[in-house]
Amino acid sequence: MLGYAGVSVGYQGRPVLTGVDLTLEAGQRLALVGPNGAGKSTLIKSLLGLVPVLDGTATVLGRAPAEARDQVGYVPQTDALDAGFPVTAAQVVMMGRYRRIGWWRPARGADRQAVRAALDLVGLADRAGKHFGTLSGGQRQRVLLARAIAAEPKLLLLDEPFNGVDVVSQEAILRVLRELTATGTALVLSTHDLTVARDLADIVCLVNGRQWAAGPPATTLTTDNLRLTYGGHAIDLADGRTVLVDP
Amino acid sequence: MNWWDDALHRATLEVMLVGALAGLIGVQVVLRRLSFFTLALTHASFPGVVAASIIGVNIYAGGIVAGAVVACAVAALSRARGQNAAAATGVMVSGGFALGAGLVATQSGFSRDLSSFLVGSILTVSPSDLIVTATVLVLVAGVLTVCARPLLFVGFDRTGARAAGYATSRWDLLLLLTIEVVVVTVVPAVGTILALALIVAPAAAARLWSTRLSIVTALAVVFGVISGLGGLWASSQWNVAAGASITLAATGILIVSGVASRLRPLMTAAAT
Repeated sequence: MLGYAGVSVGYQGRPVLTGVDLTLEAGQRLALVGPNGAGKSTLIKSLLGLVPVLDGTATVLGRAPAEARDQVGYVPQTDALDAGFPVTAAQVVMMGRYRRIGWWRPARGADRQAVRAALDLVGLADRAGKHFGTLSGGQRQRVLLARAIAAEPKLLLLDEPFNGVDVVSQEAILRVLRELTATGTALVLSTHDLTVARDLADIVCLVNGRQWAAGPPATTLTTDNLRLTYGGHAIDLADGRTVLVDP
Repeated sequence: MNWWDDALHRATLEVMLVGALAGLIGVQVVLRRLSFFTLALTHASFPGVVAASIIGVNIYAGGIVAGAVVACAVAALSRARGQNAAAATGVMVSGGFALGAGLVATQSGFSRDLSSFLVGSILTVSPSDLIVTATVLVLVAGVLTVCARPLLFVGFDRTGARAAGYATSRWDLLLLLTIEVVVVTVVPAVGTILALALIVAPAAAARLWSTRLSIVTALAVVFGVISGLGGLWASSQWNVAAGASITLAATGILIVSGVASRLRPLMTAAAT
C-alpha cells in the first residue's frame, strides 16, 4: 500500500520532515502523531504528490505518489473551506465521483447511488440537500469523509479529522473508519489526540521535524518516545500514563 | 424599416445580452473573489484598445490581447509562492490605465470608439456588435456549463481538487480568460470605469437570496438584465448617460437585496 524509506519531504528544497520510514498494508490504520507544525500535514500532502519527496524512496500503491492519486482519497481540514460557498452536502459528496464521471458527462444512476450510500454511511442521509455551510463542524467533516468514500479509494488520508468535531461526529467518524478498513481500505490520519491514536491505529508514527518512533501503539506511545517528540510538554502520571500539556 | 434600424431597439437588445453575460460571469467572479482581478482587466484592456485604434486594427482584438497578458500575468503571480499578487494586480490597474491615457495623449483627435471604451456608448451599438455579444454569451454559457464540475471543485476546495488530480492552475487560467472575454465585450456598452459594478453587483445581490448555485446563477442573470433594461429606461427618461444609469440600477439592486437580507430574519422572528 505504502512504502517510505529514509524519506525527507519539504518545500523549495528545504526539508520540513526527515527520516520517515513507513510501510502500510491493506486494511491497516496509521496515525501520525506530533505537535502543531511537526510536519504531519506536509507528510500527508507528500503521499498525494502535492509536496515533493526530497530524499529517500517513496511509493504509494506501488507507484510514485502523484501517479497513485486516482486510488487515493483525501479528507482536508474543514476550516480550510469557504462555508459561504453555495453547495449542498450532496454536491460536495458528488465531487468524489467527478473523476469517474469525467468532467463534462452527466452523472449516472450509479454515481447518485454512491453519493446516497456514502452520506448514509456517515449518518447524514437526511442532510443531503442542506447547504454545506449551515452544517456543524463535525457534520462538515463527515460530508468530506463521505466525498472521499464515494471515490472508492484504496488508501484514505485524513488531515486532523477530529479538530473542532463534536462527540457524536467523532464517534460516527471512528465507526466509519473501522468499517472501511475492515473491507481492506488502508488509512493514514494525522492527530494530536493520543487516545484516538491508541484506540484506532495499528501503527503509530511520532513526528516532529523528523520521525522519532514508529510501530504498534503499545510499544510506541511510551513516555520516553513522547518526551523525545514533544519535549517538556509530556508529563508522566502516577498510574504510568503520559499526558501532554499545551502540545 | 427593419426592427434593427432603430438605435433604441438595438440598445435594448444589447443591454439585455450584456446584462445576462455580466450576471453569468459575475457569479464566478464573486465566488472566487476575483473582483479586484476583474477591475485590473477592465483598466488594463484600455491601452490595448487605444493601441489597436492607433495602428488601425479591431479594438476588440486590442482589448483581448492586452487583457490576455494581464490574465496570464495574474495566473503566473498567483502560482509563485511568496509573491504579493494583490499588490501586483493593483499596479496593473493604475499602470494599465496610465499607459492607455498616455497613448491617447499622443493622438491629436480622440475617436468616438475610444471614448466609448471609457464611459460606454450603448446607443451607438451596431448590428454587428449585437452579433458579437450574442455569440460571446452563447460561448461563455457553453464554457461554464461544460466545465461546471471542475470549476465548482477548484473553487470550493482547491487542495481537494489537486488531490483528486485536477490541474488547478489550468482551470484557473480558463476561468480568467473567460472573464477577460466577457470584460472586453461588456466594456463598450457601459465603459471601462463602470463595467465592474455591472459584473459584480447582480451576482453579489443574487448570492444574498439563495445558497443554491443554480438559483444564484439564474438570479444573477435576471438581475443583470433588469439592471440593463432599467438603466436604459432611466437614461431615456431623464436624459442621463446610459452607462451610468445601468451601473446605478445594478448598485440599487444590490442595496435593496442587502437591506432585505438583513430584514428577513427580523420579519421571520416577528411573524413567529
